[in-house]
Amino acid sequence: MTESASVQPHPRLLDRELVARCLAQDALAERALYDAHVDRIYRLMHRMAGDADAAADFTQETFIRAFERLEQFRGESSLATWLHTIAVSVALNGMRKVKRIQGRTEMIDDMPSLAAEAVRFTGDLKARLHAAIDALSEKLRPVFVMHDVEGYTHEEIAGSLGIPVGTSKARLFDARAKLRVALAAFAGDHIA
Amino acid sequence: MNDDRIDELLASGARDYNQPGSVPREEMWARIQASRQARPAGHQPRASRPIWVWSSVGIAAALILSIGIVIGRRVERAGPPPTAVATHPVATPSKRDSAATVVAATPDRDSLLEKLHDETRKTDRRVRDLAAAPNGASATRRPADANLAYHLVVLQHLAGSEAMITAFRSAARRGEMDAQLATWSRELLSTTRMLEATAATQDPTMKRLLEDLDLVIAQIVQYTTHGTNNSDELDLIEQSITTRGVITKLRGTVSARNSAGI
Repeated sequence: MTESASVQPHPRLLDRELVARCLAQDALAERALYDAHVDRIYRLMHRMAGDADAAADFTQETFIRAFERLEQFRGESSLATWLHTIAVSVALNGMRKVKRIQGRTEMIDDMPSLAAEAVRFTGDLKARLHAAIDALSEKLRPVFVMHDVEGYTHEEIAGSLGIPVGTSKARLFDARAKLRVALAAFAGDHIA
Repeated sequence: MNDDRIDELLASGARDYNQPGSVPREEMWARIQASRQARPAGHQPRASRPIWVWSSVGIAAALILSIGIVIGRRVERAGPPPTAVATHPVATPSKRDSAATVVAATPDRDSLLEKLHDETRKTDRRVRDLAAAPNGASATRRPADANLAYHLVVLQHLAGSEAMITAFRSAARRGEMDAQLATWSRELLSTTRMLEATAATQDPTMKRLLEDLDLVIAQIVQYTTHGTNNSDELDLIEQSITTRGVITKLRGTVSARNSAGI
């Protein structure tokens, strides 16, 4: 009989252990928690905000709040999901201050009429798509960004947004439908 | 253009959406640490306000009201009240105004604080009335009964002070100061100083307690009046409360003397 492979602790147990060490004022544990999650959270914040400074602010605020509320983490969800819940809330609340989205939205109105000039496919179509993503509602945009842009699963999205998995899928469906409409109207006959 | 083509464009275009650069890990960590160190000691966001804080406010509320009931009954048993007190008779709450009912009827913080503040205002009036009576006695009231009434009012004042200090600490941790706390603390300070000054304060233990209370409430008045939200000042107040054991002494004095029937 072969020896059984070493059993890896369940990730939730590792989460709880890490949180317990953080609550015990273990500075190394706090840094380990940060290092384990900061990249993904920063990337999501940047995708949501479209601005490096805002992304850094949102990320910082996320971790500050997380450390303040760490005793509330019960291990019912993963630590990553719990952190992302805070992050998405911070981002949505802070988004009104991000001017870049407003600027990009204004670009749509400034873009020359489709009939008036030939469109270079790559640059303008992409810009149009990005503007259309910006214009998605607060309900649809986070789901689209998290899934189609950053590659989160529906389970992760549902956990972070506090919605059922089915709702996450439905919102993604709606978001894609709206973006298809925007793209189709713009690209039209320019695409072979 | 067909749907498949659009979906291809969607997928490829979305990947570039708000494309992030490298993650500024060290800069963000430094700012996070700086921000955490800058927040007041024991800062807790509203959402994580510990239940024990409001439980202790509720306990203090029940204590004030139960002491009010005791005072009322003792005064009734002592006979006709002196003239000074008669103008502001001690309220004898009916059963429906029992402590538990009041606390249960005022579940939210602001209502509870309002109720507590009102009770301490009544205590303040009783203190002034008793202080105004010569030697706490009158032709119709035995000195011992006047002394008893005075001590009961002192206990009520101590319970009210504990409730205010507890409410202040909770509000300060959240960074929220309102005018009600400022007014409440000023009124309690005034009453505390009146109690210190009256001749009936012959009990050295009580005298020391009132002096400690004076110091702590004076600091709270200064903090709430200036509204600086200064964490150093807050730390000093916390230090005063802790070093002098004010809360422990207040609870100990009130419960010991209350149960001893004093």
